[in-house]
Amino acid sequence: MKAYFEIQYKLINRTFREANIAPLAAIALLIIVFLGFSMLLFYKTSFAQYIYVGTGLAFISKLSDTRRTEFLALCFGDALVRKIRILENSVLAVPFLAFLLYENCFLAGITLLIFAFAFALINVRKQSNFTLPTPFYRKPFEFTIGFRNTFYLIFIAYGLAVIAVSVNNLSLGVFAMIFIFAITITYYTKPEDEFFVWSYNTTARRFLYQKIKTATVFSTLLVFPIFALLGIFFFRDSGTLLLFFLAGWAFLPCVIVCKYAAFPDELSVTQGVLLALCISFPPLLLFVTRYYFKESENRLNRILT
Amino acid sequence: MIVIKNLSKQFGTTRILNNVSTKFESGKVYGIVGKNGAGKTTLFRCIAGLESYEGEIHSDFQPLKNHLGLLFTDPFFFSKITGEEYIRLLCNARHKSIEGISSRNIFDLPLNQYASVYSTGMKKKLALTALLLQGNEYFILDEPYNGVDIESNMIISEIIHKLKSLNKTVIISSHIFSTLSEVCDEILLLDKGEFVKSVQRNDFSALELEMKDVTVGNKLDKLELS
Repeated sequence: MKAYFEIQYKLINRTFREANIAPLAAIALLIIVFLGFSMLLFYKTSFAQYIYVGTGLAFISKLSDTRRTEFLALCFGDALVRKIRILENSVLAVPFLAFLLYENCFLAGITLLIFAFAFALINVRKQSNFTLPTPFYRKPFEFTIGFRNTFYLIFIAYGLAVIAVSVNNLSLGVFAMIFIFAITITYYTKPEDEFFVWSYNTTARRFLYQKIKTATVFSTLLVFPIFALLGIFFFRDSGTLLLFFLAGWAFLPCVIVCKYAAFPDELSVTQGVLLALCISFPPLLLFVTRYYFKESENRLNRILT
Repeated sequence: MIVIKNLSKQFGTTRILNNVSTKFESGKVYGIVGKNGAGKTTLFRCIAGLESYEGEIHSDFQPLKNHLGLLFTDPFFFSKITGEEYIRLLCNARHKSIEGISSRNIFDLPLNQYASVYSTGMKKKLALTALLLQGNEYFILDEPYNGVDIESNMIISEIIHKLKSLNKTVIISSHIFSTLSEVCDEILLLDKGEFVKSVQRNDFSALELEMKDVTVGNKLDKLELS
């Protein structure tokens, strides 16, 4: 077990060094970003604890990949793997748990802990022959895959919007709308295999426009039912709704150009920080999007021409 | 036709390709053989424009990459995309019409299932189907027979013959000499980043014997099997 965690320590250090950041500085930066995000979330919305538990579990679930667990079981045996999985899930849960306790959200903290342990013990096989139908199958791949991975979250958001109308809570409705935008943004955060960019017979600019157009149209399709519902029942707040809708629209292209500016690497820490700043001050999006559009054009030109 | 002149490529201080020059003509099938690490995949990536390089690569269809079907040894598949959607994605990328995919499913693949759950051979057949439907002029097939069942092996060989008759340029790498000798017009031997030998169809069996002698030799004696 010690050997496993030593390798993880080396891997993490190597990741930081490859990003040209000293490990200690990177850890300090991560702590600052984490605390900043946590405080902002709890300051901005009364649903923070739910989002917080969801975010924590989303990170923890990344470690529950069946193939990874099977590989670990082959190396260390079932009993030891269970210990390893519990320990690494706990390590990931601790920062979230600490902040939840700090915010007096004890029930949310216990829920997080229970699910973190459950994720370590339950080994759900992901592969099945069932293919989830998607309305986006004609334009693979981001929304096709994204919808299949997150469809339940989208339906939860629709449910929240209905609750928002029934309890006359506009904030909850706006949260549901932003939540869907946030989900669609995650479809564009991971770089695809270089082959799927190389295959395109187009210019970098057209490639980016096409990606942005598809993302805008499809995200609108997903968000529009909530927007329309809230627009009808909170007609007097149409301006506010439109503002959030436009903010979502503006964010998506920004994330797309950031992704391709870093391509084929993942989003850099600098880009992450800039995107976080854009959440606090959305007008920044104009400059960030413009800057990274040029950068991504340069990057893509190397692959597409 | 693809013309390569003085192609060199190095990663750090390691030279992978060293002044490679050759010509791949239309309507011909070329086999590239060489040990693991000889530089075959790097050569293919350079031709495709996926790697920067020193030297020149020219083709009669420009830009080459937009007319090239590239089959990797281990093609990448997204986790939740069906076989049909994979084909649609690659055809969309080349502005190709994609009607009647199921009727063109020559390998009888379960196109409505997620491609990521396909077996190795099925993945290879799906990737090849997509490249064929793209309507490319050039084909680079890195280990096309790898993991593929015997019936599909025969279909792949027939596809290569068909591509040749349609005046396409096909470059194949394989570690199975018999399949290469069946479909190729010329076999090039790549060693330490250089083409050390080019053999026409008539001399394939001599090349096979020579390679066996050089690569295997008396190495098995070291195992002291009894």
